[in-house]
Formats: sequence, structure tokens, C-alpha cells
Amino acid sequence: MADRTLMHMTAARLRDAIARREVSAREVAEAALAQVEALDARVHAFNQVTPDLALAAAERIDRMVAAGEDLPPLAGVPAGIKDNMNLLGTRTTCSSRILENYESVYTCTAVQRLLDAGALPIGKCNMDEFAFGSSTENSAFGPTRNPWDLERVPGGSSGGSAAAVAARMATVSLGSDTGGSIRQPGALTGTVAVKPTYGRVSRYGLVAFASSLDQIGPFARTVEDAALVLQAIAGKDPMDATSVDEPVSDYIAALDAGVAGLRVGVVTDMLELEGCAGEVRASVERAAKAFADLGADVGEVELPMSRHGLSAYYIIGPAEASSNLARFDGIRYGYRVPDAEDVLDLCMRSRAEGFGTETIRRVMLGTYALSAGYYDAYYGQAQKTRTLIMREFAEAFERFDVLLTPTSPTVAFKIGEKASDPLAMYLSDVYTIPLNLAGLPGISVPAGLCEESGLPIGVQIAARHFDESTMFRAAAALEGALGLDMTPPLVRET
Amino acid sequence: MAITEAEVRHVAMLARLALTDEQVQHLARELSSILGHIDEIKALDLAGVEPTAHAFPVRNVMRPDEVRPGLPRDLALANAPEARDGAFVIPRIVGAEEGA
Amino acid sequence: MAKDRLAGVLERYEAVIGLEIHTELTSLNSKMFCGCPVAFGGEPNTRVCPVCLGMPGALPVPNEAAVEATVLAGLALDCEIARFSQFHRKNYFYPDMPKNYQISQYDLPFCTNGRLDVEVGEGDAAYVTRIGITRIHLEEDTGKMIHVGGAEGRIAGADFSLVDFNRAGTPLIELVTEPDIRTPEEARRFAQTLRTIFLALGISDCSMEEGSMRVDANVSIRPRGASEFGTKAEVKNMNSFKALHDALAYEIVRQADLLDSGGRVVQETRHWDAGAKRTSALRSKEEAHDYRYFPEPDMVPFEFTDEWIESVRAKLPELPAARRDRYVSDLGLPKQDARLIADDVALSRFFEAAVQAAGASRAKPVANWVLGELSAHLNATGAAVDECGVSPAMLAELVVLVDDGVISGKQAKEVFAEMVVTGEMPGAIVERKGMRQVSDEAAIEAAVRKVLDENPAEVSSYRAGKTGLVGWFVGQVMREMRGQANPAVVNEVVRRLLEQ
Repeated sequence: MADRTLMHMTAARLRDAIARREVSAREVAEAALAQVEALDARVHAFNQVTPDLALAAAERIDRMVAAGEDLPPLAGVPAGIKDNMNLLGTRTTCSSRILENYESVYTCTAVQRLLDAGALPIGKCNMDEFAFGSSTENSAFGPTRNPWDLERVPGGSSGGSAAAVAARMATVSLGSDTGGSIRQPGALTGTVAVKPTYGRVSRYGLVAFASSLDQIGPFARTVEDAALVLQAIAGKDPMDATSVDEPVSDYIAALDAGVAGLRVGVVTDMLELEGCAGEVRASVERAAKAFADLGADVGEVELPMSRHGLSAYYIIGPAEASSNLARFDGIRYGYRVPDAEDVLDLCMRSRAEGFGTETIRRVMLGTYALSAGYYDAYYGQAQKTRTLIMREFAEAFERFDVLLTPTSPTVAFKIGEKASDPLAMYLSDVYTIPLNLAGLPGISVPAGLCEESGLPIGVQIAARHFDESTMFRAAAALEGALGLDMTPPLVRET
Repeated sequence: MAITEAEVRHVAMLARLALTDEQVQHLARELSSILGHIDEIKALDLAGVEPTAHAFPVRNVMRPDEVRPGLPRDLALANAPEARDGAFVIPRIVGAEEGA
Repeated sequence: MAKDRLAGVLERYEAVIGLEIHTELTSLNSKMFCGCPVAFGGEPNTRVCPVCLGMPGALPVPNEAAVEATVLAGLALDCEIARFSQFHRKNYFYPDMPKNYQISQYDLPFCTNGRLDVEVGEGDAAYVTRIGITRIHLEEDTGKMIHVGGAEGRIAGADFSLVDFNRAGTPLIELVTEPDIRTPEEARRFAQTLRTIFLALGISDCSMEEGSMRVDANVSIRPRGASEFGTKAEVKNMNSFKALHDALAYEIVRQADLLDSGGRVVQETRHWDAGAKRTSALRSKEEAHDYRYFPEPDMVPFEFTDEWIESVRAKLPELPAARRDRYVSDLGLPKQDARLIADDVALSRFFEAAVQAAGASRAKPVANWVLGELSAHLNATGAAVDECGVSPAMLAELVVLVDDGVISGKQAKEVFAEMVVTGEMPGAIVERKGMRQVSDEAAIEAAVRKVLDENPAEVSSYRAGKTGLVGWFVGQVMREMRGQANPAVVNEVVRRLLEQ
């Protein structure tokens, strides 16, 4: 009988326990698989569970232990992988019917680095189709449910990766973030969620949504674990021309440095946005006070250009996506209608039948924005807006070392609540999008539970390009100061 | 900005999506509504502002001219809906430019 | 037909032609954006990877040698090299294009605003025309399709098609000229001259047959003296220089006939059928092209410094036109011979090595041998010059042997034929076969006297005025000496003794 309590341990402690032979990697893998078995029928965090891969990876770790070798930093740590990252031996479906049976033919660089660091791949996590969404409802294989309340969404698009960690089915996981797809579900599931600086982590093998915005990052239950995962996956990759050749600093070494003297800027105009729940605002204020109490130098800043970020994002994202998704044509892979009359018919119907509603909406929007006569008014204008948003952040970072904002304007909403209103859904990412546009790193840290609903609330800490160390340092300090227990009732009960 | 059903059909052709009439109607409404919000960006005075394609100004990223192992053919064709003689099979091409 | 009528048509109309030339960078090791090898043919889908197959999640990384080759081409054609440049995506669907967008360049190509001076015609009719080069940019090639069923592997009527992505992602440079070309011959000479330059740069094998060099043309005509352009047609599928010439000739005459009969030219793409010797309009979809270009977000821009551009310029080899001029001015070759050698990089290398060995004063006979026996040998065997069995040193030695009078020209041809087979040096062959030519006047005089003594009748006829017999006497002497006599000396001695 597997010991599922192992799944309450952090990645850092698991590795040490394995190194000290208190537990074997195989036992950890079995614990994770048992937790999946117990909970995933209700949560649906996984599209595919990979016991064979997990157990084989565990066996490699146990052999290293037996041989007395030094263990890699994530040895024996159960990990979930968003289903838009290729891993040989698994399907990569992007939660889309068009890729339902698509078998990976190579492995994503970030996933390979995670496995090289000793992690055990538990499975591929559910998501909004092609990462289009903020609720994981846009999955061809059904929604993921929030472990805090099974009637609610876990956020999205990396909702499966978030829910898997929140429900202790994986100790850490990888998600991808184009406009908030890691941080927003992180906030809604009470997990720590990181979008690194654009270019910090290779995108090779991540099925592209918006190439200039996408970034892979970790989910974990602690800031330390998130830092461990980013440490493992970060760095230049010759296979990704947009990955940046900047040294990766030692994130763990920075964690305990404290925030005394750190300049924290609270972005006040974001708090005043319509639609920002009072509880969310209160959490940011609580976090600001915690920083001040720790000796940080807390001030206020406004980012007025950022409010145009949503518009810029809903031009750039769909435009790039419309081109990135053109390759799904039913010729080399993916869904193909059985009765096509000719190639055009094959392509048009395979795409229309293979893509879900939101995917079609984004592809249409992006195609329109790039089409003749509209480029300057939309894409060109959006890219210029991006310039001003970056400039505004650069000025803010002259005065502050980190910026503090809400992660999401609301707590987790009910399944179906926003399904028929794309615009309301798009607003979920209003605080996270500006960082993608500016390429900046951001982390969502649990900052409390809503008094009324008992649901988690997260705050976002942003830092300068490639200054993830300072971001983690501030997040770790806040985590320590707040001392929250973020165990969902579902996990406590079972 | 309102987008007409005719424009939706034109864009759907560019995007190679065979939409039903119902989808066309829905999309005309939805896209008009979304564009109605996005259009605020057109009002921004951005004259003289340089566009940003990437947030971090890296230049000249290239690879050396070296051969690396590719995919074995069976793996290249593993996901093909239809394959024959080592090639991907597609139905006939109608009305296309020859050798385009 | 069209060719016969072209001259007449061009008296009344001026043709305006611009070329669009795609050249694969076949000399590179790897493809444009991935590490798959660049090669021709092969079993389908055996040179592919996630990148050039457009598999989900794969990303392009540009080949620096391809970027450099493009800039090198630009410098060879006097282009301006961009200080800031980038790739764009050209979005359209086609089954042989894996991503359904082509990574290409749009408003920021690597090279712009160049020119190429082209020599047209021969002799007194020769002239030089300057063709502007609008741009040269870098992009990726598509895969290939085989159409099965129906007629002759054409798309029309095929039952289905097979797609092979071996060629997909091959580095491809696109060169666009200004509409400065006025005749089919100018177009042909432009393409030929460009080919010799690209061959000299070593960036492509420029094979029109294998499709590594593909020429499309935009053609319109206007009445002589008019300043406005006529409506143009785009002509494709010209797989040889002759096809380029013939297709343009046909198209110009076709357009003139249309205008003369009160019709008008339609803007369209036309396909050259080399068998039927005509162009025909392609059926194409009503849909207008809307490529939705935008900056390629999977790659970062390029910034070229002056230092880098100069470092590429330093790699420019001598180009064929300069080489030809040097052969004329320094080595005294006739212009035509100089061009024939200079246009061919390998032949030039061979020629110059042979001249080096034989001495510059013997450049002309070396050129004669290179263009004569050597070229005939290459044509007959299909061998490349650097692996044809004859080295520059061998040819040089042969030329020196003739020039020093050791062997006759006729003997030299024998020696050439022998050395091609055995690989021996010519001197060794001459020694082995005892071919050393006799120039010793005493020996020759003895032979001449013997011939005159044996043929008194012919001697009388000669002395009576039939001086044409001198050749016959020389022949007799050569036979007497088994061909080893120096013919010039024999000639001189025969005349002297007959005149006595």
C-alpha cells in the first residue's frame, strides 16, 4: 500500500529523504500514482498518466542511491507536465481534438532538463486547448476542477498542472504562461507559480501559442521548490534562438536573504481597476504590510500604460497563434476528416472539426488582425504599445526592486460562469498580461483565503529582466511572514 | 469595429476553416464585440514609438552550419494520417497553382 | 515561330522584363533552420527532423553560413547590405509547406539596390546593359510533391499526391531585378552571368535542371516611345536558359498579337510548356493572396556591423568578369577564349595553374589546349576538370614540349590521348615512344634530298611553276621520317632545295 502522505513533502525534503534512504524513489512514484488514482477521477488534472515512465525514472534514481552516487537536485520528485510539451513516450494533445492521438516524436528541452534533474514524470496535465483560456474549461477532454471546490475552475490555461500540485498528485509541475496561464491558476489553486523572464527557459518542444510571449515555468507548493525547478530548467538552449545566454544565478542561495531595504512598489492603479474584488485588494494590502514589517521599503507606483496591455495582448497573441496553428492541417499529423474531396476540403474541415470554439475564435481574430489593411492599426499599434509598457516598467524599476500586484482580479469562479462571455474571461489576465508583454519575470504567491468562500487568493511579485533571484527572495520572505496552510479540503479529507 | 459576416467568411478562407453558417453568425457578433474593446488601442497616439517584437534586445542568434541527426523515417511518418512509399499522402489538389 | 517574329514585334513594341530568381544554397552542409543535410533527391522523408517537418513545438535557428552566403552574393552584385534586418513569416497554406507559412524576408531584406552589367551579343553587335537588382533575401525552400494518376505527373487530373519534405528548409535566396531587361536575349545573358557569379562564389551548384536555380519572369510590352508600363504576365516553369529565352520570346509575341488585334493583356501567371513551345494561363483560385507578413517571433533580428560586412567582403573571390579582363590584358587571350575559361571556376583554376607551370608567355597555347583537347575530353567523359586524369602540370609540360619543338602539334595530340589513359607525364611518353621530333637540319636535309632524287618528275613540275606541290614534298619527307621531323624545318629545307 502506497504511503500517500509522502505527497505532503516538498521537493527539497523528498530528495533529501531519498538520499538518506528513508524512502525509495519507487515508493514516492507509487505514492504519487496512488494519489492520482484516488483523486483524479474527480479533479481531472491529467490527460494521460505515465506510470511506466515514472517508475522507470524512479528505478534510475534508486540505482544511483544504491551506487552511492550524488543525487540530482530533483531526484525522485513527482512532476506533472502540461500537455503542450513534447515528451517521447507520451501523447502531446494540447487538449485538442486535432492532436488527440498525437505521439511525441522528440522531447521538449525544459522537460528533458527536468528529467535530467531526477524528476519522475507522473503524467501530462490538462489545459485549455492550445492554452487559449483562463479556466481549463476549453479542453476537448473536459474541464479540470479546482481541488478547493470541485464546482469551480482551477484557472487556466495550465489548470491541470496547478490542480495536480494543489491536490498533491504531483509535487511540482510545469506550465506555460503566455498572458498569465501559470500565475492565474497558481493564484486560484493556492500554489506558487512562476513565469520566468522571456528567454530564461527554452521554448523548444513547447507547442507554440504566441512565440514572443510564451514561457515555461514551474508550479510548486513552496517558493523553494519553485526555485529548484526553475534552477533545473533555466538556461540557454541552442535549439531556441530566443532563449538568452545569461548566466543562471543560484536561486536557492538568495532565498533566505530577507527583504530589509528591498524597495517594493505597490501598483496602486491596478488595485483600482473595476472588477478587482475587495478581498483581492485586501490581500495585496496585507502583503504590502507584511513586506513593510519585514523592513522592506514599500512605496506606491502607477502603471497607466499597462491597462492597454489587454488590448495589445488580444492582438499579438491571436495574431501569432493564427500563424503558429497553421501547421495543423491534417497532412503530416493530427486529425484528418475521413472523406475529403481534395486537399483544400481536407484542410478546411479537419481544422474546423479538430479545433474547439475558443481556438477558432482566436485564429479568426488573429488572422483578421494581420490581414491586408489592418496590420498597422492592430499588430503594429500593439507592438508600439508594448514598447510603452516596457518603458513604463523600466521607469518603475528605477525606483523599485520588485512590484506588487494582484495575480487575478477574482478568486476561482464557477465552472460555466464565464464560458459564454469571452470578454469576461479575458479580463482574468489583466494583471498578468503586462509582464508577458514586457518579458518580465513574475511569481504568484498565496496571500490568503477569501473569508467568504474559503478560496485561495494570490499576489504577484514582478522583478527586473533575469532578476528571478530577487523575485524569489521577496516571495520567500512573504511566504514565511504569512505562514499560510494551503492544503485544499479535498486533500485533507482523503 | 463591427465585422460583417462576409468578412468573417473571407477571414475563415484565409485561415482555412470550414465554418457553418451558424458559426459565421456567432463569430461576426463575438469578434465585433471583442474588437469593440480592442479598438481603444487605435486611439493611442503612438507616432514615433518604435514597435517591440521581443522584450529583450538580443541580436544575431545563429547556429553553425553543421549537420545534426534528424528523425528516422518511421518516426517522421508515425503520426501521418496516411502514408505510402515513405511519403505523406494527400488527396488531389484542385485549382491550385502548379509548382507554386 | 515566335522567335522568327520577335524582331519585327520589337521594332514596334518595347518589352519590359523583370526576373525573380530563386537559388538554393546547395554548397551548405545543413538546412536553413535545422541540422538536416542539404542534398538532392534520395528516398523521400529521409532528411527531415521536427523543425523542417513543422512538428508541434519545433523552433527554427538560422544557419549563419546561409546568412553570410546571402551577404556575399549581395556584395558581389554591388548591393547595399542592411545594418538591421530580420525574417518575416509569409502566411499561406500549401501542402508541401510544413508550417503553412514560409520563413522569408519582407521589408528588411539583407541586400538591396545592387546591379549587374551584362554583355549581350557577339562581335560588332555586342553591348553592355546594366540591370538593377532590387533586392536579395534569404528564405527556406518547400518540400516536393509527386502526383500520382492522371497524366504525366501533373497536378491536374492526379488521383492523389505524395509529399516528400527532404527539400523543405533548404536555404534559398531570392533575387529580384528591376524591370530593366528589354529582350529575351538580355534575360538569358543576365541569368547566365548571374549563374557564373554564384558558381564563382561557391554558394550553389545553380542547376536549372535539378531546380537549384529557378527563374521566373514578369513580362509586359508597351509601344515604342511610351512611358507607361503595360499589364504584365508572370511566366514560370522555365527549366533551362533556352526555355527562359524561348518563353519570353513567345510571351512578347503573344502580347503583341493581343494588342494588335484590339485585345488586352490580363495580369496572370502563365506556365511555359517546353514541349508545346507555348505559355498557358494557370487555373488559380479566385482568392487573392494575402500573406499576412509579420516579424518572425521565433527568431531575433540581425544587426550587421561595418566590420562584419567588411570581413565578408574580404572573402569575395575574383569574379568572372574581372578574371576575363585579366586574361585579356595580362595574358593576351582573345576575349571570347578568355570568357569561356573565366566563366568556369574550375576551368580557370586549372588554366591558371597550367599557365603558372608553362610560363605566362605560353598562356595562349595553354588556353587553346584547355578549350580544345581538354574540353573535348571533359565533354566526352563527363568528368570534372579536377578529376579528369589530366593535371595542370601535365598540360603545361605538353605545351612546353610543342613550343620547344621537341614534338609536333600532331604528336602532341597523340601524347594527350595517351596521357589521359596512362596518367604519365608527357615527357615520359615522348621518351618511351621515341617521339622526339627531329629538328636537326642535316638529318632533315638528307631525307629531303632522298625524296627529291626519287621523284624527278615532280621536281620538274614544281620548277615549271606548280609551286603548290611543296605540301606534297613535305608530306613525303614527313612520311620518310615517320612523322618525327619538325614540320617547320622540313618546309624550310624543301623550299630551299627546290629553289636551287
